[in-house]
Amino acid sequence: MSERTRNLIYGGLIVALIAVVGFLIATNPTEADRVSRLGASIMCPVCQGEAIIHSPSEMAREMMDLIEERVGQGATDQQIIDELTASYGQGILLDPPVSGPTLILWLAPAIALVAGIGVIVWWRRHPSDPADPTAAPAGRTRTAVTALILIGSAAAVLVAVTSFLQDRDETALGVADLQVEDLDEVSNQTLEAVIAANLDHPQISGMRLALADRYREEGDYRSAFPHYFAVVESETSDAGQRVAALAGLAWITWDGNGEADTALGLLDRALEIQPGSVPVRFLEGRILHCSGQSDRSERVLSDLLQEPSLTVEWKQIVSDELAAVEAREVCA
Amino acid sequence: MKSGMRWVGYGLALAAVVLSVILATRFGRDPGLVESPLIGQPAPEFTLPSLDGEETVSLTDLRGDVVVVNFFASWCLECRLEHPDLVASSDTFGPTGVTFVQIGYQERPQDSSAWLDDVGRSDHTLYLHDPGSRTAIAYGVFGIPETFFIDPDGTVVGKIIGEADALTIGATIDAIKRGERPGQSVTGNTQQRPDS
Repeated sequence: MSERTRNLIYGGLIVALIAVVGFLIATNPTEADRVSRLGASIMCPVCQGEAIIHSPSEMAREMMDLIEERVGQGATDQQIIDELTASYGQGILLDPPVSGPTLILWLAPAIALVAGIGVIVWWRRHPSDPADPTAAPAGRTRTAVTALILIGSAAAVLVAVTSFLQDRDETALGVADLQVEDLDEVSNQTLEAVIAANLDHPQISGMRLALADRYREEGDYRSAFPHYFAVVESETSDAGQRVAALAGLAWITWDGNGEADTALGLLDRALEIQPGSVPVRFLEGRILHCSGQSDRSERVLSDLLQEPSLTVEWKQIVSDELAAVEAREVCA
Repeated sequence: MKSGMRWVGYGLALAAVVLSVILATRFGRDPGLVESPLIGQPAPEFTLPSLDGEETVSLTDLRGDVVVVNFFASWCLECRLEHPDLVASSDTFGPTGVTFVQIGYQERPQDSSAWLDDVGRSDHTLYLHDPGSRTAIAYGVFGIPETFFIDPDGTVVGKIIGEADALTIGATIDAIKRGERPGQSVTGNTQQRPDS
């Protein structure tokens, strides 16, 4: 055996040994290797495009601790990745999955390579006229650039369509922005919480009044009372809100407790704030009617009916009530 | 040749525009604002100690209630702004089958506790500590405050990213009680720990 052959054999053996060792290392990574590889494939959620293994943030460190713990517990790489993507979504992977909408990102280089080879092949098959070396290249360049523009445009359209389809998928999952558009759909409890959280807000009286009216219409006078009372007492309430709250208090005082005199006193306070208020005067007439003081009720309602500013609707309401009083009907 | 160079220029300009559009539409998104994959999924279970360490609370113990899980910290300005609304909401909804759980995020329990002593607590809220941020990771928290809504069956049905106000919290609970899935709402900014 010549020295050259021996050297070749030794060299071959060394290369084979290195290959075997490399293969064994690659196929049997240590736990630390797996932790490092996983850490390099997960994006730190509180950083900008940085792997958790490289990020100094506490969140990244805690995620590395979690990965280390899971590896120690015997979880596979895929199980660990599935656990993190279940919480954060696929976007946390530095390498997007080779499927679905992100497939285009993986295919793009191959598509670009094929397109580039195609352009070069076309270029070589259409050689310029050697007799006219100055005219042809411009034409060929124009055609080649046109081809590239078409390829680029097609890629852009593909990405746009993919993006659109992905958005549709997300919407189909039922994930939509929550918008509070209709306060009628908001519960009394929610309004209570909003009021409790904004007691010092200058416009809170309006919400209190709305909630108190809701309670009154539902017959829950006990819940309505503190809100009407708070509107009357609040320095931020305007005159209209105070009058409305006094009227509400008057009605629940009469209808809830049967205290006509107290209710009429509250209405007098309301008329001091807004003299001539049509709703307050009507309520006065109605409480007088319901409490059996028909003569006084008749006077109040008759006077109100003479009010020139009375709207058609109010005129009808007052007339009906007055007719009932005059007929001495029982208050409904 | 001049004509060819002009076309090359057009091609480069168009390529730049296409690239800009792609970057602006997809890759420029704030990853923290993507729809949470947890919505519609079973809520990640947790068993966490209270801030004083005297008891532990498991999510499974709260099954049957609407559960509102909020991640907060003393160093978070938005958390301070939303805190009165969370307390008021918990006080109002607490007695009606809604449990509020506030979990301290990346800080010592004594720091969370001292902050709560300053800003106030609700008697109906469970204040918990999250060692190693395991629960925050399980819920996919990007920054705080983030608030998750879990229906009585244990499914995540809503999430508020940013400062939550009482109206949004209450309307979300109202929707859950009607059997709806409110989904995700972005109401403001979130914060990361200052040293992140």
